[in-house]
Amino acid sequence: MSRLTASGLVSGYEDMMILHGVSVIVEDGEIVTIIGPNGAGKSTLMKTLFGLLPAIEGSIRFGDLDTTALPPDRLVRLGFAYVPQVANVFPSLTVRENLELGGFVLRENLSRRFDRVFDLFPALRTRKRTRVGNMSGGERQMVAMGRALMLDPRLLMLDEPTAALAPNLAAEIFEQIMAINERGISVLIVEQNAKESLRLSDRGYVLAGGCNRFDGAGMELLENEDIGKLYLGG
Amino acid sequence: MDVLSRIPQLLTYGLISGCILSLGGIGVSLTYSILGFSNFAHGDFMALGAYIALALLPAIAWLGIPAASLGPLSFGWDWILAVLLAAMLSSACVVLLDRLLFRQLRSAHRITLMISTVGVALALRNLIQFIWGPQPQTYASAIQKAIRIERLGIRIKPDQIFIILVALTLATALHLFLRYTKIGKAMRATSDNPSLARVCGIKTERVILWTWIIGASLATVAGALAGIENKFITPELGWQMLLSIFAAVILGGIGNPYGAIVGGLVVGISEEVSTAFISTGYKPAVAFVILILMLLIRPTGLLGRKS
Ligand SMILES: Nc1ncnc2c1ncn2[C@@H]1O[C@H](COP(=O)(O)OP(=O)(O)O)[C@@H](O)[C@H]1O
Ligand SMILES: [Mg+2]
Repeated sequence: MSRLTASGLVSGYEDMMILHGVSVIVEDGEIVTIIGPNGAGKSTLMKTLFGLLPAIEGSIRFGDLDTTALPPDRLVRLGFAYVPQVANVFPSLTVRENLELGGFVLRENLSRRFDRVFDLFPALRTRKRTRVGNMSGGERQMVAMGRALMLDPRLLMLDEPTAALAPNLAAEIFEQIMAINERGISVLIVEQNAKESLRLSDRGYVLAGGCNRFDGAGMELLENEDIGKLYLGG
Repeated sequence: MDVLSRIPQLLTYGLISGCILSLGGIGVSLTYSILGFSNFAHGDFMALGAYIALALLPAIAWLGIPAASLGPLSFGWDWILAVLLAAMLSSACVVLLDRLLFRQLRSAHRITLMISTVGVALALRNLIQFIWGPQPQTYASAIQKAIRIERLGIRIKPDQIFIILVALTLATALHLFLRYTKIGKAMRATSDNPSLARVCGIKTERVILWTWIIGASLATVAGALAGIENKFITPELGWQMLLSIFAAVILGGIGNPYGAIVGGLVVGISEEVSTAFISTGYKPAVAFVILILMLLIRPTGLLGRKS
């Protein structure tokens, strides 16, 4: 069964449409990467999938449920977690409070979920009481991903998780994404410089000008000369 | 009496009026941090609460709750009950106002919203005047003897001690609420990063509802306490305090409820202590001077976060 099926999405801001019929599928357990130039509409697609922007046309299915018009608080309850590209932490709150808000919709005791996040990001365990605003970019990205993982989601959507990070930190984040995926969580990633991301992906999409341009297996996109020249910096 | 010997007494008065300003300021600060606009009607929410409490007193007496004063205080359980009920009723009024007006303007520019609050302020004040009249009214007329504390060189009335204790209790309660309850955490999250709060599944409208309830409840208590301290209430009660409240909120760092508490105390004390040095007539100017100095030197406020 596919975890997420979006077809023919038209969406944007006010009266300016950015997406002109975009379709994306994430199968259960897959890692899928969407690449595309700056301004292609990748972040807009994510916001639309997550119910932050209304889909003017098209449909979104999460598992076997039609979620086209559902607000974020309903999607979160279904196990759909999203890490935005920017402003993806609560800077004046502590690490612990950030993570706790990730589990906001849950009614159970969160201690086991905290442990699982700290197992994945051991660097955060000793910094529970630190204000996230005082942390480095790499640490913030871990808090942002940790916050989303508190849900124990079935699908994790990451918008440019490594964009602002040094190469060694980026590699660490990609390792963690693989570890997350090994726990059975499907992952949908958006990346601008996406070689590393495509390498670990089952499949990939190329988005440009608000439309699907290519799709295929991760390695296939990586080895395609046209895509390499146009979208992966040669 | 020389100037310095009057300072302890003025500090005491300042502390008392500062407590009332703090309780008013918390609401202004929360509204700003969650809804993103300056609410010029907040002073009139204080007056509304104070008048609803006044209107409830006869009804409470009719229910058979005695109006006897509580120990040395000038008011009794009937007044306390009236204020608690008034807090609920004024919250309901404010929430209704939000549904009818502010909700329609959620995505409007903050200047539009600010101007609409000025309109609400005028309408509300005139409504209060229409219903209850412009003349001052009193909750109770019991005369109180001040307690002398020779060692500190101050006199303070039991009612004033009550005001300080109420403010302290409510500030502590607010702190515990924001820190430990689920909705309190949702409020802090929404204030910090509203779109990420939505991504976490927090319902913004629920947070807004609680913001109004807390703001209006504390405004009611502040208005009623001002009525006790001044011995009377008028429809202008809150509007007259609004400049001091805004000075307090900006001094503490707008959007930070703890800053509003600190700012309220500083402004209240500055206003009273200033009367030792300059004519009482200039008291309102003190808040203005604090406001302007703060905007020039440190616009983010004492406890404001650096952005
Ligand atoms: N909040 C917004 N309001 C209006 N236009 C926006 C907004 N955010 C992005 N855009 C526009 O939408 C287009 C696509 O942006 P985006 O989805 O962020 O691209 P990408 O993530 O692929 O770089 C850009 O032209 C951008 O200017
Ligand atoms: Mg983007």
